[in-house]
Amino acid sequence: MRKSYIAIIILVLISPLFGVIGANIVGYREPLDLAAEIIGIEESEPLWRGILPDYTVPGLPDELGYIVAGFVGVFILLLPALIKRGKVEGNR
Amino acid sequence: MHIPDGFLDPLVSLSLYVISLAIVIYSGRKYFKEGGSVYYLSVMAAAIFAAQMLNWPIPGGTSAHFVGGAFASIFLGPFGACLAMFMNLVVQCLLMGDGGITALGANAFNMAVVDVFAGYAIYKASLKYLGRKFLAAFLGGWIGITLAAVTCGFELGLSPSFGYPLSITVPVMGIWHLALGVIEGIATGLLVKYLSLRGLIK
Repeated sequence: MRKSYIAIIILVLISPLFGVIGANIVGYREPLDLAAEIIGIEESEPLWRGILPDYTVPGLPDELGYIVAGFVGVFILLLPALIKRGKVEGNR
Repeated sequence: MHIPDGFLDPLVSLSLYVISLAIVIYSGRKYFKEGGSVYYLSVMAAAIFAAQMLNWPIPGGTSAHFVGGAFASIFLGPFGACLAMFMNLVVQCLLMGDGGITALGANAFNMAVVDVFAGYAIYKASLKYLGRKFLAAFLGGWIGITLAAVTCGFELGLSPSFGYPLSITVPVMGIWHLALGVIEGIATGLLVKYLSLRGLIK
């Protein structure tokens, strides 16, 4: 399973190449956000913006924020696995 | 494919919340009753989250990303995959504001239910008749994401607030993802082939 952790870490580290830099090059917008603009729905007022809105961290440049936000998300989702492993090792 | 707030009719939004939650709870119970591993579930949810951060930029100002419902279902079985995809969607929604909080039920229905269960059924059926893992996983990933997109088109088309009728939303979402879904199919095929060579997928 160590390999899957490494794979996940690599994915997060390279993600800004796709999610931020590549997106800026082609002028990427979330397709459904674009649709909202075309038909004039006010998308500016979502009910919940998120704690790290759109994978950004306040005060950090977008590329770095994207990586930090990625690791925060990955860490939360990995918590059950980490706790489980801690328990198994604790029992040994 | 993550629907933001404000697109869906409240009735569509609410009914999909109820349906999706019921399916996710049922799936979770079934997964653990059948001895499903917390460890694999958690690692899969994290891997899907990371993979979904890689938007493939497409000239013209759009992009798509790996959804992974079919892949997760081939690895974990459909019940575990449903739960893993849902965990991922909850974190994306609450932490990043990716996918509206009112649309969480709909997004879960498309990506944690349709993509997962349809992708799995197509994989299993193709494997039985074609006998090739790569091809079966390719079809599961490709058709799974396309059906999820068609479902998303239905949800938008059924919402008067979105302003476009079903006759537009369904074909637009469907055709777009039928084309882009080829990448999802290839990624799913390669991952499944690799994991089965390593003995991690039967």
